[in-house]
Amino acid sequence: MTTAHDSFVTTQVGSWPRSKVMLKALRGYQKGALSRGEFNAVAEGEVRRTVALQEQVGLDILVDGEHRRESFYAFITDKVAGAQLMSLAEMLDFVEDKAEFEEMLRTMDMPASAVKNPTCTGRLSRREPLALEDFRFLRTLTDKPVKITLPGPYLLTRSMWVGALTRNIYGSPGEMADDIVRILREELVDLRDAGCDFIQFDEPVLTEVVMSEECDRRTFM
Amino acid sequence: MHVCRGNWSKQEDVLLTGDYARLLPALQRMRIDQFVLEYATPRAGDIEVVGRTLSDRELGLGVVNPRTDKVEPVEFIVAKAEQALAFYRPEQLFLNTDCGFGCFAGRSVNVEAVAVRKLAAIVAAARVLRRKHG
Repeated sequence: MTTAHDSFVTTQVGSWPRSKVMLKALRGYQKGALSRGEFNAVAEGEVRRTVALQEQVGLDILVDGEHRRESFYAFITDKVAGAQLMSLAEMLDFVEDKAEFEEMLRTMDMPASAVKNPTCTGRLSRREPLALEDFRFLRTLTDKPVKITLPGPYLLTRSMWVGALTRNIYGSPGEMADDIVRILREELVDLRDAGCDFIQFDEPVLTEVVMSEECDRRTFM
Repeated sequence: MHVCRGNWSKQEDVLLTGDYARLLPALQRMRIDQFVLEYATPRAGDIEVVGRTLSDRELGLGVVNPRTDKVEPVEFIVAKAEQALAFYRPEQLFLNTDCGFGCFAGRSVNVEAVAVRKLAAIVAAARVLRRKHG
């Protein structure tokens, strides 16, 4: 990776605030009211603006802002067979302890409407690359090095396993995790071979494991 | 690899608190070039915790909080980076935000205008640091 500077290289973690236009397009696409092409056209406009802003401030390694993503990990339901995007209302029928889950969301100031889970409901495999097209588009917009973010395997395993639905498919979370790791490895290799400068795995849930001591509860980080 | 303490709310007190000490055994075993870590918030503890153990890798040092409206002063960012310089060489040290500005599409934690100013503060601090330590 060649950056303009060889010390104190500047970048950001990945996601950018969504505009009203982007959110409306995402909801429209999820409901089937917008075609993929129409959705992508809106997203590409947002990515262009995000890249231009980073160029203007003089950042060294650029991101695309994750405008296409429902969240930094739930977006994979668009790309992975066997994974289904579920709203909180749909999830509640299947979580082990409904009252505890609702209480957790309330005390953590997480509005129910913002939670969408990538639930495993079938054998997991890549229907299409997770972020390769995002990288290719971003690459056309700048000469600077770029970073692509992917959800980490532990975060995905914790969130995708919903016992009531997933136990019919996999014998254990560990067995499901083998497929998740394979999917992420395939993506990593594709991105590397395509020339991606920087690939970042997001694993915020690791701190939840050691700081909240509640590894068995549902997670959304 | 990026680790933080949650980024879904602007109420700092509902997010997690603690340093990286208990994660170190796991982080050390990972074959990862760079750890991108939240450090602008005091909830993340001292840089020394990772500096003493993980300085054989690069550090993506979190220097601005994506959830606040106030832009961190350049001096604050420079001081954070200088603490890390006790353990990392300038070429190992990357400067970044603590987390994204919109991890959940329906729950952006900031607005674009503030996000841009926070990035500009990081770039300005990097200029100062290169002049002093580059």
